[in-house]
Amino acid sequence: MRKFVPLLVVLALLVSPTLTFAQGGGDHPLAGQTIDMAILGIGGWIPSSLAVDLATSQFAPYALENYGYTVNFTFQEAPFSNLFQKAATSLATGSQEFNIIVSDSQWLGALAEPGWIVNISDLIASGHPEFDIEWFDPVVSQAYQYYPDGSDTIWGLPETGDVVVLYVNKEMLLNPDERAAFSAEYGWELPATYEDWYDIDFDQFEQIAAFFTRPEEDLYGTAMQYSKEYDFMTMFLYPFMFSMGGDIWDPATGDVYGILNSDVNAAAMEVNRRWLNYQPPGALNYGIPDVVDVFTQDKVFSGFQWAAMGAGMIPPGTEDKYMVVVPPGYRMEDGSVRRIYSIGGQPWVINAFNDEAHMRVALDFLTWWYLPETQLAFAEGGGNPATAAAMNAEGFEDINVWNRAYKDMLTEQTARDFWHEPTYSEMLAIQQEGWTAYASGQVNDAMNTLNWIACQQQEILYDAGRTTTDAPAECENINLE
Amino acid sequence: MQHVKSPELATTVTPQPWWTRLGHALDRRERALPTMLLVPVLLFFIIWNVIPTLWMLGLSFYKWTLTSGRPEQFIGFENFQDIITDNSVWLSFSKTLIWVFGTVSIEVILGMLLGLLFWGSAKLPGRRLALTLLFAPMMITPVAASIFFRLMYDPTFGVISYIIAQLTGQAAPNLIGDRATAFAAVLAVDVWMWTPFMILITLAALGSVPKAELEAAEIDKLSWFKKIRYVILPNGKFILMLGILLRTIDSFKTMDLIFSLTRGGPGNTTELIAITLYRKSFEAFNLGWASSLAVILLLTAIAFTSIYLFVLNRKQAEEA
Repeated sequence: MRKFVPLLVVLALLVSPTLTFAQGGGDHPLAGQTIDMAILGIGGWIPSSLAVDLATSQFAPYALENYGYTVNFTFQEAPFSNLFQKAATSLATGSQEFNIIVSDSQWLGALAEPGWIVNISDLIASGHPEFDIEWFDPVVSQAYQYYPDGSDTIWGLPETGDVVVLYVNKEMLLNPDERAAFSAEYGWELPATYEDWYDIDFDQFEQIAAFFTRPEEDLYGTAMQYSKEYDFMTMFLYPFMFSMGGDIWDPATGDVYGILNSDVNAAAMEVNRRWLNYQPPGALNYGIPDVVDVFTQDKVFSGFQWAAMGAGMIPPGTEDKYMVVVPPGYRMEDGSVRRIYSIGGQPWVINAFNDEAHMRVALDFLTWWYLPETQLAFAEGGGNPATAAAMNAEGFEDINVWNRAYKDMLTEQTARDFWHEPTYSEMLAIQQEGWTAYASGQVNDAMNTLNWIACQQQEILYDAGRTTTDAPAECENINLE
Repeated sequence: MQHVKSPELATTVTPQPWWTRLGHALDRRERALPTMLLVPVLLFFIIWNVIPTLWMLGLSFYKWTLTSGRPEQFIGFENFQDIITDNSVWLSFSKTLIWVFGTVSIEVILGMLLGLLFWGSAKLPGRRLALTLLFAPMMITPVAASIFFRLMYDPTFGVISYIIAQLTGQAAPNLIGDRATAFAAVLAVDVWMWTPFMILITLAALGSVPKAELEAAEIDKLSWFKKIRYVILPNGKFILMLGILLRTIDSFKTMDLIFSLTRGGPGNTTELIAITLYRKSFEAFNLGWASSLAVILLLTAIAFTSIYLFVLNRKQAEEA
């Protein structure tokens, strides 16, 4: 047998290029090689894990067939609050431990400024027009792509879009007895159809939530997030501020003081805290999974939650029991309802320290990711694509129960992101502290809390050289108390 | 034998026999061996303790945020000044002191009571099994324990909340989500975890009491209280004090247990100083400021320990 070995080796060498060409990857520089790719994503977050599942189950065979190389994906994960820490500590050492990262949109500045991620604008200019993609709405680029805010320099590519939607227990809502009791008590009809929810404002929703709040039956009107973890409280307070006409800063000047600490934002904080009356005890600690728990166990009539959690909020087989609608908004003087909610979702970012082979596979993967069929497969798996092609495709709204509300809310008029600054984490930690202190009743002066946050954030931006406006002198005397 | 003082005298010194020289060489080698054995430990200590501590000390004088993309900037004592004038730090610090006092006191009292009970029930069948079960909580990692209790406290399916609801006839409370109960609920978990440690220490202290003195106390028919006061405490005091010291230091550092249970919430209700430090380091990435706080905490812990040891040593000296 041993004497045949050299012959077999020669035969194998002769045959392997033939096989490679037969697989269609003959001209690819990586043809015939095996590449291990690591994706860092959010643990327990369906869009992250779904993307890696698709990479393994669909991209790997696609790459072998079209490019002739074998690719193996591993998924490294961390919860929201720890993911950046995991990414930053690795990238700070120039490591290519994670070849592609599912980043949060607010981290773009922090990842871009030290040069840790690939500048996609440069990539497009250098002969990769495939990444110049038509998105569903300009808000997609604003949230997941651009840094600095207001520029058009692209650093990320949307992995999943996401918005806050309202999940409603349809069985309770359409129950004739409940409807009759509600109209007898409040003098107007509970909304019944999806379209009815377009016209529901904060005051009306408060009445609905109050109506379904029955502690003696262990039932509450609604649930949303107030947790101090990561950005949980922030993301569910902003909708009150934005919808009521408040703002958080001026990206052009970097001014926070005088914008964030406004009367309208203080009023928004009061409404947000008052709504705790219609939520289960302990809602102050609620994060994403807690809202899933109480909603799926019928402890609450409704839940404000990310569209990306749709598969968790509406387990398979219960689609008829629930409906997903646009959340309530602020009634304007002209009678219209203004709803501007926080935008969630995450972009892909590419590790700038990838070697040539890993960079090539990363680009191949992302090219494949934005193929219309991949985007639809992502949607069918429960993900939320953001390309115009996928979201405008016929039947997109019917793929998942939440798709219609997702599509309605993913617009410039209804969704807004916040700072993409490198100082993001510092600024976030300050307001999470202030707002949770107010929500918990530890402090009771909303305006003073806003003053304190605005002072701290102004100082952070000024110290980091991101603005020429320093915190005013009166900040010296403002404390969180 | 004379020491060599000058070249002239040196010529007059009788050379040492080879066995004496060999003996000296072995002596020197014997002295070198312990030093050589210490080298790996010292190296480990220097690499993993001394250098990071010095690094942290240096960083505490700089303004540096990991994510800013800007170089470190030397700012002297500005970070320390910020911390001292920061109300939220003082709030966390005061909560930490309440936490340390609360947990250590309850654990010491419960631990000593249970320890005495176990000591007095030496012939009880199943005592060993009971002891093993009793020590299990302190062997569990704090994160696992907190997840365990998070589930038990859960108002939807938690067994503790269920029992309270049945007893009170009210809706199940969310013990760790309510500002009124969160601190006590978290403190109870720490007591559950670490009371066994104080039982162990109490049993060790009781074991150190000379049998003769115990027998004398029996013969004199001393009451339980007097036996503890005049026989057990004087003999076992040092071990008990060591246990209290260890628990105090450990309790001051509590982070993982609370972070997994409440993340310092609701609001700031359960935010101890170690959690504030974590937030500033790994959520805000303000590493300069966080290093300053770490230095202050390190100095505080050293100060507490030194005062404690000073008092203990002084009392011992007085008694001697």
